[in-house]
Amino acid sequence: MSDTLGTGSGPDGKAKATVAPGQGECRPSIEAERQPGWAVSRHLRQTGLPLLSVAVILAFWEGAAQLGLFDASTIPPPSRVLSTVWELQTLGFPRGSSLLTHMGSTLGRVAAGYALAAVLGIPLGMLIGRSLRASRMVLPIVTFARSVATLSLLPLAVLWFGVGEESKVFLITYGCFWVLLTNVIDGAKNVDPALIRAALMLDTSPRAMFYRVILPSALPYIFSGLRLALGLGFMVIVGVELIGTSIGLGALISQARTFYRMDLVFAGMVAIALFGLLIALGLSWLERLLLPWARESK
Amino acid sequence: MNRRLASLDSWLGVTIFLAVWQALSALGLLDPRIIPSPIAVVAGTASHLTLAQFLGDVEASLFRVMAGFLIASVLGVVLGVASGWYPLVGDLLRAPIDLLRPIPPLAWIPAALIWFGLGEPSKVFVISLGAFFPAFTNTLAGMRKIDRDILNAARMMGLSGWRLLYRVAVPAIEPDILTGLRIAWSLSFGVLVAAELIASQSGLGNLIVRARELGQIDLVVFGILAIGITTLLTDFIIAQFFFRFRLRWYVKATTAGLAGTRER
Repeated sequence: MSDTLGTGSGPDGKAKATVAPGQGECRPSIEAERQPGWAVSRHLRQTGLPLLSVAVILAFWEGAAQLGLFDASTIPPPSRVLSTVWELQTLGFPRGSSLLTHMGSTLGRVAAGYALAAVLGIPLGMLIGRSLRASRMVLPIVTFARSVATLSLLPLAVLWFGVGEESKVFLITYGCFWVLLTNVIDGAKNVDPALIRAALMLDTSPRAMFYRVILPSALPYIFSGLRLALGLGFMVIVGVELIGTSIGLGALISQARTFYRMDLVFAGMVAIALFGLLIALGLSWLERLLLPWARESK
Repeated sequence: MNRRLASLDSWLGVTIFLAVWQALSALGLLDPRIIPSPIAVVAGTASHLTLAQFLGDVEASLFRVMAGFLIASVLGVVLGVASGWYPLVGDLLRAPIDLLRPIPPLAWIPAALIWFGLGEPSKVFVISLGAFFPAFTNTLAGMRKIDRDILNAARMMGLSGWRLLYRVAVPAIEPDILTGLRIAWSLSFGVLVAAELIASQSGLGNLIVRARELGQIDLVVFGILAIGITTLLTDFIIAQFFFRFRLRWYVKATTAGLAGTRER
């Protein structure tokens, strides 16, 4: 069986010898999958090795810090970061603002800006995408608006909305909006014409055409837009919070730096990473729940 | 014919956008202290900013982006190829990279400032962190969906090991590498602007900061537009370079409908 897929020149043994002369483990994965017996150890390696590599890195990091190989105040060891996370939650960093306060504030800003972008972007994108002319006309504007770095708008946003929450929400909305709009337009554009013709033949009303044909077929695009936008919104908020606020995860690490508290910077980054991971997982779970038919095309 | 019509529509769209903007300003519906009109932006920029100053800022920004981008793309592509080719490398690298990926590059800025100070290295470090992940992820994704028939055909002709990797596998995933590099490039600019807003004495991000401090709102708008244009233009150059010199086979195959299976 492996012969039909193999090099075609000889039995398995020969193929192995030519592929890995003295390279030991270094065999292309495609080659590896073909060998019986490899599958079990492969499975073990796929779960074991990643755990092992993280454990080794953490152990070295901790050990080196304990031995004083590098300055523990500029690269705090994992144990220190953990205890700082606890300290942050119980005592708070700018006095009284615990980790959860920072997280809640960041989450609130992202949620507001993201929701606003979705409310504006999805209907507008569906409208533009259904007209060939309109989508051509807005294409250069959308492309340009997307490549404007969102944070470069910060001075303007402050001028328009002041230093409060509005300017932060505006920037997140701006960043999310264009990414989302591009994907929604694509989705509305790429409806299979055969589906539309079939629906027309069945005398479908325009309303039913939109809700039962166009929208469902655009939904996978909309979702991938929503996922991209959320990642971007998250990046924007951290950047915005680095400048001129006191509450929020970005503000936390920025202020920790001015006090040279590297352990706090790391603790904040751990929180940010966890946050990002949770959001990404939640969104892909939601996508599977709402779009069971799109699983293949992803 | 059809393409001509499409580009005509595009120009029409841009013209209408600028005309409406200008008209609203002329009618006094947009406060010039908050949003200057397109003509005011051009006129104000011409009087506030010399060409030499502007080119100096562009140069400083481009240098930072290029340095960070080059480090990141070399690392990202090499590690991505290695992870896809050697299962051991892939298994070892996957967990640390998956753990670091959810941290937005901007969140590294405070740490970078402590480690590397206020100078160039901290900016280059943060930019290369941002650019690394898209370069790595797309290269690895390309390696994973490589057409096995191509590899097997090359094996049958006697290629193996390094030569199989270098002569067959890597060229086959160049479209994916290009995608990764383009995402990395535009992300680099986003990171650059943030880094320059926070701490720098030069660059396009700093141009905006200086203009705002002097209350020259027209120059702020110009700076924003200049960053957008620089990003688009350089991205276009990178893509053209690849399509001209490296991906002619891919362009031909896609237009002939042969590479349809590779789409998404």
